[in-house]
Amino acid sequence: MNHSMPDGSPYVPKWAEISRIEKLTESEKLFELRLSNGQPLGHKPGQFVEVSVLGIGEAPISISSPPINDNSFELAVRKVGNVTNAMHNLGVGGKLGIRGPFGTNFPIDEAKGKDILFVAGGIGLVPLRSFIKFVLENRKDYGEVTVLFGARNPSEQLFLSELEQWRGRKDISYLETVDRADENWKGNVGVITTLFPKVQVDPAKTICVVVGPPVMYRFVIMETKAKGIPDKQIFLSLERRMKCGLGKCGHCQINNIYVCQDGPVLRYSDIFALEEAL
Amino acid sequence: MEHFLLEKNRLNEFLSALRNYEVFAPVRKVGLTVFELITNPKEAMLDLKNQPQSPKRVIFPQSEILLVFDKNNAAKEPKGRVGQKPQVVFGVRPCDARGFHMLDPVFEREYPDPYYLQKRQSTLLVGFHCSEPYPNCFCTSVGGNPSSPEGLDILLTDLGEQYFLEVITSKGEQVAKEGAAVLSSPTSQQQTEKEKLSGMAPQKIRRTIDTEGIASKIEKHFDHSLWRELSGKCISCGICTYTCPTCHCFDIQDERVRGRANRLRIWDSCMFPEYTLHASGHNPRPTRTERLKNRMYHKFKQNIDLYGVPGCVGCGRCITLCPENVDLVANLKVIKNL
Repeated sequence: MNHSMPDGSPYVPKWAEISRIEKLTESEKLFELRLSNGQPLGHKPGQFVEVSVLGIGEAPISISSPPINDNSFELAVRKVGNVTNAMHNLGVGGKLGIRGPFGTNFPIDEAKGKDILFVAGGIGLVPLRSFIKFVLENRKDYGEVTVLFGARNPSEQLFLSELEQWRGRKDISYLETVDRADENWKGNVGVITTLFPKVQVDPAKTICVVVGPPVMYRFVIMETKAKGIPDKQIFLSLERRMKCGLGKCGHCQINNIYVCQDGPVLRYSDIFALEEAL
Repeated sequence: MEHFLLEKNRLNEFLSALRNYEVFAPVRKVGLTVFELITNPKEAMLDLKNQPQSPKRVIFPQSEILLVFDKNNAAKEPKGRVGQKPQVVFGVRPCDARGFHMLDPVFEREYPDPYYLQKRQSTLLVGFHCSEPYPNCFCTSVGGNPSSPEGLDILLTDLGEQYFLEVITSKGEQVAKEGAAVLSSPTSQQQTEKEKLSGMAPQKIRRTIDTEGIASKIEKHFDHSLWRELSGKCISCGICTYTCPTCHCFDIQDERVRGRANRLRIWDSCMFPEYTLHASGHNPRPTRTERLKNRMYHKFKQNIDLYGVPGCVGCGRCITLCPENVDLVANLKVIKNL
């Protein structure tokens, strides 16, 4: 065996150039990127990449776009740590290191012909958007599509122009809520579970995909159980402090799984008994 | 494989003869015995009982530059890696040699890790039969043996005035060839003496735990309130993980040196609260109880499921060096008896 370096090193990032930046909220920006080698990233909805800003470090970031023909991909990033703050200081033309894509993807094939219930809490919409957009682009492959989106307050809603399109679409049901309204908000007020009574599902043919903060999962699962959706038809994306993405550094281990490789997208029936997962 | 005899007073000559190798051996440094590159055989301290650190760091260093980025952001190899001489690690305990067997599958699995594997392939392990085990050694409870050649290329047994030298692998044969001038043939009496010592060695291990069934007990009682008691003394200092020959967790960090960036890998510890802390502030493993429980789960359940063996070689360092006397063997017994 020859382990020559650095070409053979799984720690070497590829370089990507920022081609567009969109401010989403006060603390989140969308970065459109293209790999400098002209190749597609080769990801599937739900996977993540290790993003690096040289001299600052690396951070695991979920990919927010489905595979796109022009080889671009999108990362929506909240500025919260060293790497993400450094990303927010970059402009168009700025370079980021990319390793990956890593991990499991949303059930794009298993959900074909089935109804899909998307449940997104806060920036959980960022990874889930890759699957929602994939389904909308391949709309005829899927049955009834329902999107539930909850944000803490109206100013924390992401992808406003896309939400506006979803509100107007006849081929999906889009329901939204905020925990706390402002004076302009006319919609539902309350946590995301308050949307469930408004939703009708056929539990036998519904795939439910949930992404949100850790506290949300437990309560959403209570609602899916009440609707009779089997645990094996529920998919979650887990967040962990992943460092290597290679199943070695240990950080994302939960009992017998490494979230960077066995996840981040996991079937609820496979992890409901997994301590510390939810 | 062949057997030789090495007179103790010719050990330095033997080490000096290994010109084609970089030799690492335990050396005395600020009151500690640590494995370091030696230039003079006299530096070697063959005090097996006094090794607070395992030789893990020779192949998986505590801090290691993975990538050096040049002005154009191109990733380069760190200097000094290519064409380096093969390494000999001298003075390895059999438990620590087995420790590398626990690390190998982690770095070999999907996405092979060239940094570890290159050094591993070019490193020979010369070990010593543990004739006087530590009070906290329990290698025989986790599949080891103080006189085991497993994982070693050469095994030495102390016969008093001489070492009985057994060549275990073909890599070891090369080393024996380089030092052939100071080796002689053992007598049948010395051979018998060596076998007698090997047979006696396991009986000198004073601590034992029957690990059969531990994995299922850990899983079954994952929610038990006893974990809180077991971790009550732990201060999350991480010494158990830093001295462990099988722990492999690491962090990846960048540093700037004269305007350029290096990417490093640095040992990390699952005992630290920051280890699992999310950017959001959420921590899935927030207290010492979850962290200690996770470490035991990883060693005695996950490792068995993934690789078929416990992730522990029974070296006893985590027990001996814990400032709060958290005792892994005692804790395993508590879980076993639940």
